[in-house]
Amino acid sequence: MIQSWQIFDYSSFPIFGDPDQTSKHLDALDETGRSSGVDHGPKIMVIDDETLIAETVVEILKGEGFNAISVSSGDLAVELAKTMRPAVVLSDVMMPGLNGIETGIRIREIVPNCKIILFSGQAATGNLLEEARNSGHVFEILAKPIKPANLVSAIRASMPSH
Amino acid sequence: MTKFRNSLSKKLTAMNMLVSAGALLLASVAFFGYDLVTFRTNLVTNASIQAQIIGSNAVSPLLFNDSKSAETTLSGLRASQHITYAGIYSAHGDFLAGYWRDQPSQPPALPSVDPVTRETVNFADKEFILARSIPFQGKEVGYVFIRSDLGAINDRLRSYAVILFTILTASLVAALTLSRISQRSIARPILALADTAKVVSEHKDYSVRMPVPRDRDEVSVLVDEFNQMLTEIQNRDSALQQSEEQFRTLANSIAQMAWMGDSEGNLTWYNQRWYEYTGTTLEQMAGWGWQQVHDPQKLPEVLPKWRAALVKGEVFEMIIPLRGADGNFRQFLTRAVPIRDAQGKVARWFGTNTDITEQLRAEENLRQTEKLAATGRLAASIAHEINNPLEAVTNLIYLARRQPANAEKYLRLADEELDRIAQITKNTLGFYRDSASPTKMNLSEALQEVLALYSRKMEFKRIVLICDPGDDIEITGYPGEVRQVFANLIANAIDALPREGTLRVRASRGCCRDGVTERGVRITFLDNGSGISSADLKKIFAPFYTTKKNTGTGLGLWLVKGLVEKHRGTLHLRSSTEQGRSWTAFSVFLPEHALRN
Repeated sequence: MIQSWQIFDYSSFPIFGDPDQTSKHLDALDETGRSSGVDHGPKIMVIDDETLIAETVVEILKGEGFNAISVSSGDLAVELAKTMRPAVVLSDVMMPGLNGIETGIRIREIVPNCKIILFSGQAATGNLLEEARNSGHVFEILAKPIKPANLVSAIRASMPSH
Repeated sequence: MTKFRNSLSKKLTAMNMLVSAGALLLASVAFFGYDLVTFRTNLVTNASIQAQIIGSNAVSPLLFNDSKSAETTLSGLRASQHITYAGIYSAHGDFLAGYWRDQPSQPPALPSVDPVTRETVNFADKEFILARSIPFQGKEVGYVFIRSDLGAINDRLRSYAVILFTILTASLVAALTLSRISQRSIARPILALADTAKVVSEHKDYSVRMPVPRDRDEVSVLVDEFNQMLTEIQNRDSALQQSEEQFRTLANSIAQMAWMGDSEGNLTWYNQRWYEYTGTTLEQMAGWGWQQVHDPQKLPEVLPKWRAALVKGEVFEMIIPLRGADGNFRQFLTRAVPIRDAQGKVARWFGTNTDITEQLRAEENLRQTEKLAATGRLAASIAHEINNPLEAVTNLIYLARRQPANAEKYLRLADEELDRIAQITKNTLGFYRDSASPTKMNLSEALQEVLALYSRKMEFKRIVLICDPGDDIEITGYPGEVRQVFANLIANAIDALPREGTLRVRASRGCCRDGVTERGVRITFLDNGSGISSADLKKIFAPFYTTKKNTGTGLGLWLVKGLVEKHRGTLHLRSSTEQGRSWTAFSVFLPEHALRN
């Protein structure tokens, strides 16, 4: 009965382009036009499978003088945390692989003092947060979209120097 | 008493008489026959003795040829009134003397006489003759000839007839009397039984009883059993009447309208509620009169279906609008069940009409509410899709402001993200575009658009989607509702699928399998999730049935079914929960035209 099945290509949907494409767009930015960030001070890790979001957030934070890097998945972030030991983690919630909450829990195991901030565009994350709270993990959550000014002040408030 | 041309009592009497008369006649004939034979022998013997007496007295007249004394001897025969003639003949056969009872005439010739028996007897028509030789000293000296009429026998026969008639009459009278008496004990109870049976069958009066005859015989057993039968019929009758009464009471007290009809579908009875609701009478409604309260627009659909049910003897079920006494129509779930007799033939039809107007209204309201709720859930799930590009746009605009040198490139990226948002809103709009009448829609496109809305969710679970949306398949239907069907089935599949599961979606042109062949499109959603247990399968389309305790309303599949049926389509579900090879397949068939004109 099934004869003409085709593997469905997500990228054929105009709304859902290849996530890697977005980073290419940013890479294409004029090197001189970028604000110079700092590579010292407490580290901020920005995790989002939508790399355009992660990279623009990093760009904004660097502009404010923060030492930030972008990571495209939770698994990768947990791996990096071992060497980087971030002070603040800003993570998307709904991601393939480890979700934001799982990632936060794992990173806290590695860096107990690390401040975890979640940001999500979905109301459905409520259940995930509830589960995390029940097992003793309380996270601050920000809703997408968030005004860059508000994001910056939230990050600033979380920095260990404050 | 009933008059029969050949009544039992007449038959019995006739039989009695016939038997008695027959037996008597047979006995009489045998007796008289024997008597006659004996009498005739006696007659001959008497004549022979008389001939011998005459012979011995005639020896000397013969020897002396003395005719005078011979005549004297013969004259002694005057005492025997039946002897018509007697004569004495010489040894040579010459006539010597004669005797005539009446007029003397020519003496007859002597017949030859047997020399051994010395006698000859001959019977003629009305007489007999006897000739005898007269021996003397061992020599025949002459012959005696006697002729006698048979008057003696006739006299005897006459007296026999009189006796026979008398006996016969007397015995028949006796037989008649006896049969009258015997009738009293045999025929009368049977005749009474016949009369009672007639009364019972004519007046349907089962209360009569037969008096049981005093004699214990077959007839009394018959009467006994007959009475027993009447009692049983009476009991059954009253039980039937009681149950009929109970049925009427029940039928009049139920909330439904109810009716009954014969095997041909002619309705003969309606319950009180029917008359109350419709404001009609049995005269108006009898037979096929019920059509008066039907919607003339719906009747062409009702009548063929009802006729088909009558022919096939199958249960009839249909939602039919019926007009009330106030002139307003209400919707009734109409069911008719054939009642069969012992031979399996349809004896009658029993039907009910259940007012489901409120139920249909409530269901419609629920469907509307669920459609809104589903839209709400959809809005929540696409919020993420919109919020992500919005976040990117917000960031990019902020950066463009901060870094004017790169503004052009940031804004170009922001533009692309805005296109993404526009596409999402365009896809979402399809759900709200709910037209009042069916419109032509590209089903393949709609299917892809709905899949696109869930693509993020699928990618999040790393679900492999294998899709064949068909080649621009078009149908006429309600685009928003068709999208809703797809969205609910896809969302269910995603919920059921584990990480890295596979969802296959396929749309193809085809024909409806059951019933009338109809062109349309079949859309199949096959997932290799955990499957649906057989217990859940039975209830899965019922409203408020859910296996997702906290997140589900239990209305998703119920809504899908309702919407598919609204499109005159069919929805099939198959599933397997076999460990490691579980799957679920929903198959939706939508006809090319949702509504036939």
